[in-house]
Amino acid sequence: MKVVAIDIGSTWTKGAAFSVAGDEVELLARATHPTTVANLADGFFEVLQTVVPDDAIGRIRRGELRLHYSSSAKGGLAVAALGLVPEVTLEIGKLAAQSAGAKLTQVFAYRLTRADLARLEEMPPDILLFAGGTDGGNTRYVLANAEAIAASALDCEIIYAGNRDVADEVAALLAGKRLTLAANLLPAFNEPDPEPAREAIRAVFLRAIVRGKGLDRIVEATGVEPLPTPYAMLDYVEAIRTQVPGWEAFMLLDVGGATTDVYSACDSTAEPGVVVRGLPEPPVRRTVEGDLGLRVSAAVTAQAEPATLDAALTRAGLSAEVFAEAAQRRAASPEILADSEAERWVDIALAGLCVAQACERHTGRHQPVHTPEGEVRVQTGRNLKTVGKVIGSGGWLGRQADFDPRPWLAGRVLDARGRQVLLPRRFDYYRDEDNLFPLLANLARACPRAAARAGVARLKQ
Amino acid sequence: MSQPTAVLGVIGSDCHAVGNKIIEFALSQAGIHVVNLGVMVSQDEFIDAAIETGAQAILVSSIYGHGEIDCNGLRGRCMERGLDHIVLYVGGNLVIGKREFGEVEHLFKEMGYDRVFPPTVDLSNVAQCLKQDIAAAA
Ligand code: B12
Repeated sequence: MKVVAIDIGSTWTKGAAFSVAGDEVELLARATHPTTVANLADGFFEVLQTVVPDDAIGRIRRGELRLHYSSSAKGGLAVAALGLVPEVTLEIGKLAAQSAGAKLTQVFAYRLTRADLARLEEMPPDILLFAGGTDGGNTRYVLANAEAIAASALDCEIIYAGNRDVADEVAALLAGKRLTLAANLLPAFNEPDPEPAREAIRAVFLRAIVRGKGLDRIVEATGVEPLPTPYAMLDYVEAIRTQVPGWEAFMLLDVGGATTDVYSACDSTAEPGVVVRGLPEPPVRRTVEGDLGLRVSAAVTAQAEPATLDAALTRAGLSAEVFAEAAQRRAASPEILADSEAERWVDIALAGLCVAQACERHTGRHQPVHTPEGEVRVQTGRNLKTVGKVIGSGGWLGRQADFDPRPWLAGRVLDARGRQVLLPRRFDYYRDEDNLFPLLANLARACPRAAARAGVARLKQ
Repeated sequence: MSQPTAVLGVIGSDCHAVGNKIIEFALSQAGIHVVNLGVMVSQDEFIDAAIETGAQAILVSSIYGHGEIDCNGLRGRCMERGLDHIVLYVGGNLVIGKREFGEVEHLFKEMGYDRVFPPTVDLSNVAQCLKQDIAAAA
């Protein structure tokens, strides 16, 4: 089987042609082209033409060649999440959005205020994911929020994934808006079900968002629809977890210019003597931090809390002034390349801060609770302590042979509230040196097992 | 009226898990939709669950003797978070040592609980009271 995989990133459009026989994957050709922001299709067709010079589109149309492609161009997919209780439906809404490949731009709980709506109207997300209430549960807040949205000037796609008892009323109230109904992401209290909302986000991405960005030309020419890149990556992480022996638990990090993505696959059984609280964790999870990155977000990244920042400066041998200035310069001109030893250390310190903070936010906590019987640990979130493998992916981490995340994570034992952070303690670090993972994630749509094994086999240690 | 919903859990750092399962079973049998949060449940977790599920009642268990500390303040917290008319029950081994039940009942009613139960209570009576109290509060 021959497969072409293309990923349209914010700066580069990358592509590869693969030949797959059983579990064997052969890389036939690769190409890269600057992403053509004005019309994403231009760069895409350049790359397609380079990796399959001879009648690629005809062969795709005739089914002789399979195509899978993804896009994170133009800032990716912006989702605002609206839930009822922050720790409950809002939390599941965030999970659904992030696993669908979106960047969370705003989050709201309980009742939308006038100010909340003004913020939404001012900076409309691509999609508002609107949830609240279990089936048969709360209707008061959901209906009040639907009324408030209906009365607002908010113009974006809206997905309703709340209490189904009032789905009809919500649909009637929002009849003037672009509304999609999805199954409740919390049908019963202890049974979150983010998958239908994730699927609805993907469908809306295809139907509505793809159009504005030139991707519709590709769909027309090839008959194939794109996925958001992180959506494909999450499924690829799941494919590795289930298809590659020894990789049942691992993390994958991607530090970009504007955002830092953390994916983890792990087993959620609790240690003895630990009581797990909060919503059940899915086996794979993605979180994305919009304030942590090496370029656009560099200035914000460099404003870490003092203890973290001091440790980073000491490790990188930089003064606070030099670092702050260099970070600001990166935010102002994202195209800057680190061309001296000092500038390279700035990037390393920024990457260290991104990795440390993004991983800490991604990971669960143990809180010691004193009971009459002695100490009991209460766990919230994911326990990654025994995860023994971490992958650095994305352009920067993949290439940096001399960046090691271990010392950056080693210091993160207790959080600001004194709870134990359940980060990996001893792990092997691997790099996706050729930045093949976004392409293999596309290949995995056609053959998950072969793509998962090929990706792991190509990692550098 | 549709099936009444009640949130159930064992409050504080209390790990006694057996009675909790029995209460869930007995009340479900009696036609109450029980959202069981299990053991070691904080006051806010009870309230979070009650808001999302639209529950009309919260049933708090305390077995290990620290009920007086753990259960205090729940009524105020419910009001604070918008559960103005929710029915609150509490039961179990509510205080350490031997104390007159009437005294214990008074103590917990002062805290804002609508009904207070000793460990020996008949759960089918509890289900009856609960349905009546929910209907009256609506
Ligand atoms: C088994 C047990 C344990 C096990 C629990 C295992 C588990 N995961 O469940 C272990 C060994 C872990 C344990 C630990 C402790 N235990 Co213990 N334990 C017991 C024991 C023997 C049985 C509890 C039980 O399951 N009973 C059966 C169930 C069905 O009854 P129940 O829990 O009382 O629940 C019923 C009623 O109370 C009522 N009810 C309860 N809540 C509510 C709420 C409402 C709204 C209503 C209507 C009714 C209701 O309905 C329930 C169903 O019928 C009791 C003694 C006893 N015979 O009760 C001591 C007992 C409860 N434990 C006690 C103590 C002190 C402890 C410890 C603090 C210390 C210790 N050394 O034992 C620790 C605390 C640990 C912690 N953090 O919670 C004391 C509590 C004293 C008090 N409250 O005044 C007891 C009474 C023993 C005693 N006489 O000293 N314990």
